Amino acid sequence: MNIFKLVARNITRRKGRFIFTLLGITVGMASFVALLSLGGNMRGEMTKQAGSLGAQLIITPKNWCAYDQISILTGNSLPESLQQEVLDDVSAIEGITAVPYLTLGTSVNNQSVLLTGILPQEMKDFKGWEVEQGEWFSSQDERAVVLGSGIADPFELSVGDTVTIRGETLPVKAILQETGGNDDTSLYMPLSVAQELYEVEGFVSYLAAQVDDMSKMEEYEAAILGVANVAITSDKQLLSTVLSMLGSVNLTLQMIAMVSLIAAAFGIINTMMTAITERRREIGIMRAIGGNGNSIFKIFLIESGLYGLLGGIAGVALGLLASFFIAPMISESDFAAFLKGAEFEASFDPTLMGLSILFSIIISIGSGFYPAWRAAKLTPVEAITHE
Amino acid sequence: MSNAIIKTQGLEKTYSKSKVKTHALRGVDLEIPKGSFSCIVGPSGHGKSTLMQLLGGLDRPTKGTVFVGGTDISKLNDKQLSNLRGERIGFVFQFFNLLQNLTALENIQMAMMFQKASKEAQWERAFELLDLVGLADKAEAKPCELSGGQQQRVSIARSLANDPDILLMDEPTGNLDSKSEAEVLKHIFNIHKAGKTVSIVTHNNELAQRAELLFEIRDGKLKS
Ligand SMILES: Nc1ncnc2c1ncn2[C@@H]1O[C@H](COP(=O)(O)OP(=O)(O)O)[C@@H](O)[C@H]1O
Ligand SMILES: [Mg+2]
Repeated sequence: MNIFKLVARNITRRKGRFIFTLLGITVGMASFVALLSLGGNMRGEMTKQAGSLGAQLIITPKNWCAYDQISILTGNSLPESLQQEVLDDVSAIEGITAVPYLTLGTSVNNQSVLLTGILPQEMKDFKGWEVEQGEWFSSQDERAVVLGSGIADPFELSVGDTVTIRGETLPVKAILQETGGNDDTSLYMPLSVAQELYEVEGFVSYLAAQVDDMSKMEEYEAAILGVANVAITSDKQLLSTVLSMLGSVNLTLQMIAMVSLIAAAFGIINTMMTAITERRREIGIMRAIGGNGNSIFKIFLIESGLYGLLGGIAGVALGLLASFFIAPMISESDFAAFLKGAEFEASFDPTLMGLSILFSIIISIGSGFYPAWRAAKLTPVEAITHE
Repeated sequence: MSNAIIKTQGLEKTYSKSKVKTHALRGVDLEIPKGSFSCIVGPSGHGKSTLMQLLGGLDRPTKGTVFVGGTDISKLNDKQLSNLRGERIGFVFQFFNLLQNLTALENIQMAMMFQKASKEAQWERAFELLDLVGLADKAEAKPCELSGGQQQRVSIARSLANDPDILLMDEPTGNLDSKSEAEVLKHIFNIHKAGKTVSIVTHNNELAQRAELLFEIRDGKLKS
């Protein structure tokens, strides 16, 4: 007989209570871990998107909010609220190369997908895209589409097929090579065709611009503001805005996880207090046969710590499982549209998981402190004369 | 008497948990010689269990002193007192002596666990003691699978686990039929013969008559 065997025997004594208490900490830890791994992944995803943007400056209408800016990184459709003349004004500035984006939503085979209107030649040069299959647009107003590399398979499209957009049937001219960013998950068509089909002639969503000399960023910005009534943000600002927003979303989600962990902690306290009342006579017996207050304290503290160990392991497993299943659902749902983007994977970090289990143990030992102290404080006679 | 293993001086105990104060003991002086067989008798509610708890260091007196083997146990802290109970004293109570979720064997082993006995020593001694009380075949039985008499025999076996000098038993057969009682008493007499100091609270006259020493408690006082 040793203390651990004794605890193992005690903890499973009331099977129902054991399971429900364990479920409490398991669910708490599962949501904690799921959110942690999703959150960690969101960060990585956004940083990657910012890198693949290929632009140092983003020129947007003045009234855009942070939410709209996020959509640039996540590849969602945006309002077409920037006048196209701005493009000419900005391009005229020495040292700046700018391309327009008209981001629109459409659906192919009943699945929604992003459609981007672009200037074919300028965009290809700007991004350095390569064609994998087929041929790039031959003119600036060709009535055809090109697919990002991530579109062909899920939509079962190949070069030579047709897609119907706004009632017009258009051939698929080419499929691009993989870029690793959001560009892979859009359909492209010449800007003028897109404007015509969607009846937004003369408007684009935003401009992306590269500069020749990074050290003159402020001068470029001043020059742009001199010719157009727009807002300018840099890729770095954009990223930090997105990350700080993600941060606050994360914080909210983590608060939810914390609340469920606090509930789990109270579950453990409640279970331990009940167990101590039930086993009061037995505590008395243990005291009579030589157990000191310290031993009693240890026995109950280990018992509650065990909830944390078991619940932590189960919770981490469940949380990872959940995040693997939830991640694709988030990518497809409207929930926080900014999460939509390239394929979205939950991340598995062994150190983080280990720390999570440790955290779970700490919570449950913390919860066991008061009950264990109460048990240890019982005098042998108080415990033994209890019926 | 110089060979007293337990000695009390002016022992008083007042319970004041509720509004009414209960003077359970009102000045008890007694000596229990080493190796003796004594009985504590008296009507219900007159302080027998209280006395036994004080003798065994389960509770602390309101006034007066208890000496065990010459040590004033009021001077011991919780750890020391717990050790004293574990090493030198074995208890048997009237009801529910055993931990319900442990087997007979484990109940005995637990007493040795608190004295940090090795796993091997625990197994060996626990089997030996179960054999002594004739329950070797019930080692793996849970208390609920044992009769009242068998449970008390396991309790007696457990009280011997750390080879104590003193055995304090509070109505160990109070809950048993006469056949089981005779069986339990047989083991108690054997323990005394083996040299232990045994002190029993009992309502059984036959048992009381066999005692070398009889302490009669009335209204919290020793009747001489
Ligand atoms: N823990 C306690 N709290 C309050 N009163 C108690 C307690 N234990 C015993 N008493 C009271 O002390 C008196 C003596 O009790 P006890 O020693 O159990 O008597 P006996 O064992 O002789 O029946 C009784 O009146 C009883 O009600
Ligand atoms: Mg009594």
